[in-house]
Amino acid sequence: MFQKVLVANRGEIAVRIIRSCRELGIETVAVYSTVDEDALHVHLADEAVCVGEAPAKASYLHMENIISAAINTGAEAIHPGFGFLSENAKFAELCESCNIAFIGPSSQVISDMGDKAKAKTLMRSAGVSIVPGSVGEITLEEGLALIKEMGLPVLIKASAGGGGRGMRIVRHESKFKTQYFAAKQEAAAAFSSDGVYLEKLVENPRHIEVQILADKYDTVLHLFERDCSVQRRNQKVIEEAPSNIDVSLRNQMYEAAIKAAKAVKYENAGTVEFIVTDNAFYFIEMNTRIQVEHPVSEMITNIDIIQEQLKIASGMRLLFTQESIKSQGHAIEVRINAENPVKNFMPSPGTVTFLHVPQGPGIRFDSMLYQDYTVSPHYDSMVGKLIVHASDRAHAISKMKSALEELITEGITTNQWFVWMIMNHQAYVEGSVDTSFIVKNIKKLIRYEN
Amino acid sequence: MKTELLKKALKRHKALKNEFKNTYVNDQNKATKPDVPAGLYEQCPSCKKNLNKKTLVVHHYVCDKCGHHFRLRALERILLTLDKHSFLEKGLGFITLNPLFQEGYEQKLETARKKSGNDDAFVYGYGEIEGEPCVLGVLDSHFMMGSMGSVVGEKVVKSAEYAMLKKLPLIIFSASGGARMQEGIFSLMQMAKTSSAIKELHEQGLLYISVLTHPTTGGVSASFATLGDIIIGEPGALIGFAGPRVIKQTIKETLPEGFQRSEFLKEKGLLDKVVHRKDMRIILSTLLQLHKPRNETNDNT
Repeated sequence: MFQKVLVANRGEIAVRIIRSCRELGIETVAVYSTVDEDALHVHLADEAVCVGEAPAKASYLHMENIISAAINTGAEAIHPGFGFLSENAKFAELCESCNIAFIGPSSQVISDMGDKAKAKTLMRSAGVSIVPGSVGEITLEEGLALIKEMGLPVLIKASAGGGGRGMRIVRHESKFKTQYFAAKQEAAAAFSSDGVYLEKLVENPRHIEVQILADKYDTVLHLFERDCSVQRRNQKVIEEAPSNIDVSLRNQMYEAAIKAAKAVKYENAGTVEFIVTDNAFYFIEMNTRIQVEHPVSEMITNIDIIQEQLKIASGMRLLFTQESIKSQGHAIEVRINAENPVKNFMPSPGTVTFLHVPQGPGIRFDSMLYQDYTVSPHYDSMVGKLIVHASDRAHAISKMKSALEELITEGITTNQWFVWMIMNHQAYVEGSVDTSFIVKNIKKLIRYEN
Repeated sequence: MKTELLKKALKRHKALKNEFKNTYVNDQNKATKPDVPAGLYEQCPSCKKNLNKKTLVVHHYVCDKCGHHFRLRALERILLTLDKHSFLEKGLGFITLNPLFQEGYEQKLETARKKSGNDDAFVYGYGEIEGEPCVLGVLDSHFMMGSMGSVVGEKVVKSAEYAMLKKLPLIIFSASGGARMQEGIFSLMQMAKTSSAIKELHEQGLLYISVLTHPTTGGVSASFATLGDIIIGEPGALIGFAGPRVIKQTIKETLPEGFQRSEFLKEKGLLDKVVHRKDMRIILSTLLQLHKPRNETNDNT
């Protein structure tokens, strides 16, 4: 096991990692920017190194400074957390060449999975179902034939593209021809290559992901799934486990996730994300890092994923089998962000003048907040995660509601009451929400003010 | 303030924890200690920033912070300039002798050979830039400062002769400290020899592009390097006969800023253009295209 680990992150996740390290008897090194001098992770860690100015690019994203901090303090491993350098293949490679263990998969896997086209090709050849569509670029005739085969609506996408440019939705077969040439033209103008491909449009899907753990010895296990369908602008707001989809479909997803991980020789903790409609699921991407919503899986399985990450990276075997992992009860997590939902989710940094944290059985508050802490405007607005665990979904929802009612963060505005409104929404309680839920109900959800 | 209270309390707790710290044996004291391996980073001589070698290669060996052009080895220059797999080296097998029996010269040559993998400081051959054929010669400043001895001089002449034989334009990248001192008069001879070869090339109506890189000084700058039909400089390159320090000490006057640098020389008319390394290929291929003989098929291989 490692003796000393550097945590290359800030905020709630840095605190979370430091706590797990302490439990395992590992010394910790925190890194911080000049504005984070008073942050909780800096004072919890055994050592702390300032790595630069406030902008993330000059500190938390500055690879050389972080590597130097690790070498100077004698840390043998770096835990990147999420965000910042966690999915940066270059950083992982740098760690490898400097003889520092990067707690995560190899740089090769990170770069393969970071390239969406490559990831999809890998998954297709591994037999994991991806969104149906053309293999590579298509001509007009091929496109028309494909539409007949897989049905409408479809998406025409630019092969060289991204960011929605050169993308066209086709709902009627008669419109395909014009849209096809329009997309080609737009792609040629934007990316100087007019190749386009076809993909089935999956409308308002549910977003389900499977947590996996893989060690260096080819053991790949899953820790069940998480339902992250409540999203706003592709940012997850509420996550829960288990999801309320069909058991046989769930089992197929676990199998697919393990297949995906084995196909790329995955190592450490990761997440395979799927979109799910009625009774089909499609691979969308693989996150090669710990995720914000990992506590949900921890609560239902009683496994500390961060500790497992540390053990795996230090070369230990996974000490449990798939059969020994049991899913118990229901867990829900909400992200507490320093933002004002009423004012179009404008960030609201400031100083926390009074803090009261909900407590009791099955309630967990992962946060870096303390009284007098100043939330900085330089970074992400998430200040904590409230997680509850109860015997079933209905109990978990009511526990979450009462916990939210108890939470007091005087001095900053949070989305606390916004998520409370979601907890009270009929569609959410029924468990029938998809990714368009917040957009459709936004007016209702911010009505708590009056 | 409460922040101070928190800090104090946590510090106290840490001290308590450390009292009970296990005195475990540190088994990490083996060869795998974390460290930055040599060669992963290089310091920019101009702005002193540490640059990742891999990023440096992507940026054509130019510092992305200050634009400093790193000195290149001959092979790196060829890889950067020519199309992939188009280079065919010519003029192999020259042996550098020690005609004046200078002490330690052979040894110096031997280490330079081992370090660079080349016979001497000049490499030339057939190559293509964006499909345009040419003869490319490169002086390697890592080989005894790219100094011109008998072999370098002879190879420069050979490259010009090869260009004449194949009726191809000649491009030479110079980077040199001047004539090779160890070969004395034999080195100085090369100035006249190379110059006359370039004259012959000129008389045959073939294009000669000379690219001056950091540093091009002494005998090389006073012979074939500055005889180009078109003379291009790399940004910030030192180009001159005697170095600025020598001139300063001789004339006992302060020199103007940027003296003997590419940009300064372009202003004074010695250079035709200062070209950033990333644009070099495009500029060279355009020049080759513009000067291509018309209605004539090149039968070169």
